[in-house]
Amino acid sequence: MTRYGMVIDTKKCIGCHVCAMACKLENNLPNDVWWNRILTDNGGDVGFDMVGGSYPDNLKLGFIAMGCQHCENPACVKVCPVGATYKDSETGVVRQDYDKCIGCRMCMSACPYTGVRSFNWEEPQYHMDYAVGGKDVPVHQKHVVEKCTFCYHRISRGEEPACMHLCVGRARHWGDLDDPNSEVSQLIRDREHKQLLPERDTNPSVYYLV
Amino acid sequence: MTENVAAASTATAPAVRTRFGGRGLSVAIVVAAVVTIAGLALWGVQLSGGMAQTGMRNLDSWGLYITMFMFFVGLSAGGLIISSVPKAFGMEGFGGISKVAVWTSICCTVLAIGFVVVDLGQPFRVWELFAYSNLGSPLMWDILVLGTYLILSVVYLWATLRAEAGKVSPVALRAVSVVALVCAVLVHSVTAWIFSLQQAHDLWHTALLAPWFVSSALVCGTALVLVVVVALRRVGYLDLEQRHLTRLVKMLGAFVCVDLYFFGCDLLTEAFPGGEGVEVVEMLAVGPLAPFFWTEIVGCALAAVVCFVPRLRTNPLIVVASLLAIAGIFCKRVQLLVGGFQIPNLDYAFQANAMTVTDWQSGFAAAYQGMVYWPTPLEFGVALGVLGLGALMLCLGLRFLPLGSAGRPR
Repeated sequence: MTRYGMVIDTKKCIGCHVCAMACKLENNLPNDVWWNRILTDNGGDVGFDMVGGSYPDNLKLGFIAMGCQHCENPACVKVCPVGATYKDSETGVVRQDYDKCIGCRMCMSACPYTGVRSFNWEEPQYHMDYAVGGKDVPVHQKHVVEKCTFCYHRISRGEEPACMHLCVGRARHWGDLDDPNSEVSQLIRDREHKQLLPERDTNPSVYYLV
Repeated sequence: MTENVAAASTATAPAVRTRFGGRGLSVAIVVAAVVTIAGLALWGVQLSGGMAQTGMRNLDSWGLYITMFMFFVGLSAGGLIISSVPKAFGMEGFGGISKVAVWTSICCTVLAIGFVVVDLGQPFRVWELFAYSNLGSPLMWDILVLGTYLILSVVYLWATLRAEAGKVSPVALRAVSVVALVCAVLVHSVTAWIFSLQQAHDLWHTALLAPWFVSSALVCGTALVLVVVVALRRVGYLDLEQRHLTRLVKMLGAFVCVDLYFFGCDLLTEAFPGGEGVEVVEMLAVGPLAPFFWTEIVGCALAAVVCFVPRLRTNPLIVVASLLAIAGIFCKRVQLLVGGFQIPNLDYAFQANAMTVTDWQSGFAAAYQGMVYWPTPLEFGVALGVLGLGALMLCLGLRFLPLGSAGRPR
């Protein structure tokens, strides 16, 4: 079995937001919709992309690239009343069927990683009057929930997710977590890492090297 | 009026016998219908213009509608439980109130379903619930149980009416009331499970939530029945001895105490280990939700005082106590719903925008300063429309269904 996963090196991530842009373009995301967001880990108090702590000795700035965690034990899949969100048995990717979603937003409240699921609160609008990105990206619909698909349309033809490509620091790694020889498996074996909110028992397929 | 005459008039002029209310009720029916239609129009506005017109956003993805859903599932309980418990256990009932109580239950259940429907982004896909049912989803359980509950309530009301006419045996009625009672308890548990089975929110994820929903349902359900019964007795729709009312009031007092006790248990369990649980308790007691928290605590405590002090059990005070208890439980629903979204799990800053959180303009941290969610006028309008539907059903039932005291001259 394949369980696709991503390993993100927080030591290499410089918070340039380019992977967020790559995601937005590839998936032709409507205005104000971001499946991949770069969270700033600066100890709070100051805003995003700003340095936290106190000058000169205790400054704090880090980044956490945040998309759907494609959990092995996804809270969202269990609660969807119509099975519109489901785990793909071939790849371990948590997918979303826009045509099925009834817009009850049960998955949004069930997901511990608040904000990775987004609801199209209005008719999707675009700054450009033509579609961008992959031609086989599903059409966005009003009043349904959507989220990062691990670029399912790309991986199903053997390519990597779009966020991998433009990463300046080469902080992102992609592969099969079930294959012990894959790059991601080796990185998890060799490097100190964390998953987000492990206490919620979801076992995310996104790992962060620390 | 003797039995014979009553029976004869029933046989000859059933239409006359079953009608109730004069001009006032007619006006109420018309007003409720107008409000319902206005609500439908506003719902159309919400669907065509988009739910961006509501106060809900990605980080506070449920709002007034789901609060009202919880609240009305609770309100629906009391009526059915109060009228079915005495029958199920073979105890003395509460006089003639059981039919009115069940009718208010039915109206509240319809309202609860209505509030879920207006919350849906794609209401025209609800048929999928039955075509692609994921039976593992607590929401699916709730839909099934709520549907069953509605049907059972109607059957129960019908069986009560037929039993009064001597067409249904007391044993059969008792069987129906036992099934209805079990279903009523299930309905509240399952509604609680929608929230409590989610590990994502510390406030919701507690085993106590299901029993607590049952106790809250008993509080506001009993209180609603009391208000309706006192009002209907005043206008001459019902005959009821004061002792029945007194027993109900004492029960209300007991339910209020149990509900407050559960709240206390839950707060203590959250706060005692320290850490994140303390944040939850602080948010409720001294944070943005404090007005709702203290309204609930003080309102319920005052209601309990009225219920337990014999000298205070006068009709006006009973109504005040009931309304306080209902308001208190509503405040509890608000705390539960908004409180669930008030503390983000991942405390990292990011670029907020119009789809992220209700008050995003002044930044991410500022959005959580006050209540993270507050409804827009459109939401209030749609909610009022749904309430109008309930009022319409209640009034139509009073006018056309034989819910009053049997054999009473009209």
